[in-house]
Amino acid sequence: MPPIRPAAPLSSMTVEQLAAAVAADARRIDLETDSKVRDQLAADAMQNAQACLERAPQAAACLYYDGVALGLNARAHPLQASSVLKSMLEALSSAEAADPSYDQAGPARVKALVLIKAPAWPLGPGDPETGLAAARRAVALRPAYPPNVLALAEALAKTGDAHGAQDAYRHARDLIQALPPSRDRDDWQHQADQELSKLSASH
Amino acid sequence: MSTLTLAAWATLVFCAPGYPGGAGDGQPYVDQFAKVAATTAGWKPDSLGAAYEPSDQGGLAKLSDKDSVLAFMPYAFYVEHAVALHLAPLAQVDVAGVGTQEHWTLVGKAGGPVTGPSSMTGYTILSVAGYAPEFVKHSALAAWAPLPADVKIEATGQILSALRRVASGEPVVALLDQTQAAALPTLPFAAQLKTLTQSALLPVALITVVDARLPDARAKAFQAALVKLNSTNGGAEMLASLKLKGFVLPQLPGNAGLP
Repeated sequence: MPPIRPAAPLSSMTVEQLAAAVAADARRIDLETDSKVRDQLAADAMQNAQACLERAPQAAACLYYDGVALGLNARAHPLQASSVLKSMLEALSSAEAADPSYDQAGPARVKALVLIKAPAWPLGPGDPETGLAAARRAVALRPAYPPNVLALAEALAKTGDAHGAQDAYRHARDLIQALPPSRDRDDWQHQADQELSKLSASH
Repeated sequence: MSTLTLAAWATLVFCAPGYPGGAGDGQPYVDQFAKVAATTAGWKPDSLGAAYEPSDQGGLAKLSDKDSVLAFMPYAFYVEHAVALHLAPLAQVDVAGVGTQEHWTLVGKAGGPVTGPSSMTGYTILSVAGYAPEFVKHSALAAWAPLPADVKIEATGQILSALRRVASGEPVVALLDQTQAAALPTLPFAAQLKTLTQSALLPVALITVVDARLPDARAKAFQAALVKLNSTNGGAEMLASLKLKGFVLPQLPGNAGLP
């Protein structure tokens, strides 16, 4: 396994490099099976995000990836997840205010996913209706980006609109199939197919 | 069920309708609970398995399995199904931050038309316990019984959405458990809500024997194990992972589980 920390010291990294480092940590966590390594990656993501914020506290990239890093830490430490997820949502709101289009409308998209997946009030910050509104904002900004449409489909399903969710998943599948082959494309396709099967089976 | 079969395998079903999490989310925690509880009862550690069922129907289906000898359930589930499933309470659950008993609170729109049961005509009661209409009508809202015949009762896991509907003036009211009611002041629209009535103290959750599938001696041993579980080595930590503090002997309201 490659080392978690990059060769360059944090102090010499640019905002773009630090944001990219958090994104890389997030991708590796999704593939990592060893819980200790996942914990290390989550801690590394927090370090990178903090360094980014120290460099540029108002930059959408730093605010956004601070939110992403907090999300990774919530997954790594579920007992503290509720308070960490609240901080994550605040960071994403700040990022959305700074640049709503960043990472293909990432702030609203990630916010939507947190709001629809997190434990609901009063146990956690989950709020599917507000999540649906965030997903609609992401789609309005970047309608051709499949993850935005997948997030909208998930929000529709969670708020009880099964037909709307099916339509959105089908639309996402059309968008995905128009893309050149890639690992992301395969993952999105798998998600759309799997959720469509589930919705078809339950209705 | 023979003792021989029981020694080989028996299941404790955790019925958690209306509460967050899928079956996979809770499974590792209930597995650990079953192992520790069985050991404390003097059973073989692998003689008791556990199954986490997050839906009412899933719980009922699992309890129809003859291996399902014990069940952990919210009191609402018990009231709804005690007679049909022949549920015999062994212990009452002490839930962290709640206790062994809780009030249920009916919430309506502040300044709205609902002031008593007769003004509930045409209304819908939304609640995490909506899967258990007998509990809603005769336990949580016993003080308002009988409700008008056209009152509907619906289950919802989206209590925040339900409260928004209440606040907006839709013909709905929300029945909240103690945790939800205690958090009401944190809502930005709390001023648009009012408490309509509150239940007497009711048990929060129970562990029961299902359909006399556990021999009496084993049931007694398991009951004793539950009551001392929080004082065993590692017991309190294991219980905390399930947001529990321990168990006490059951003290049910007089009408609980009666047809």
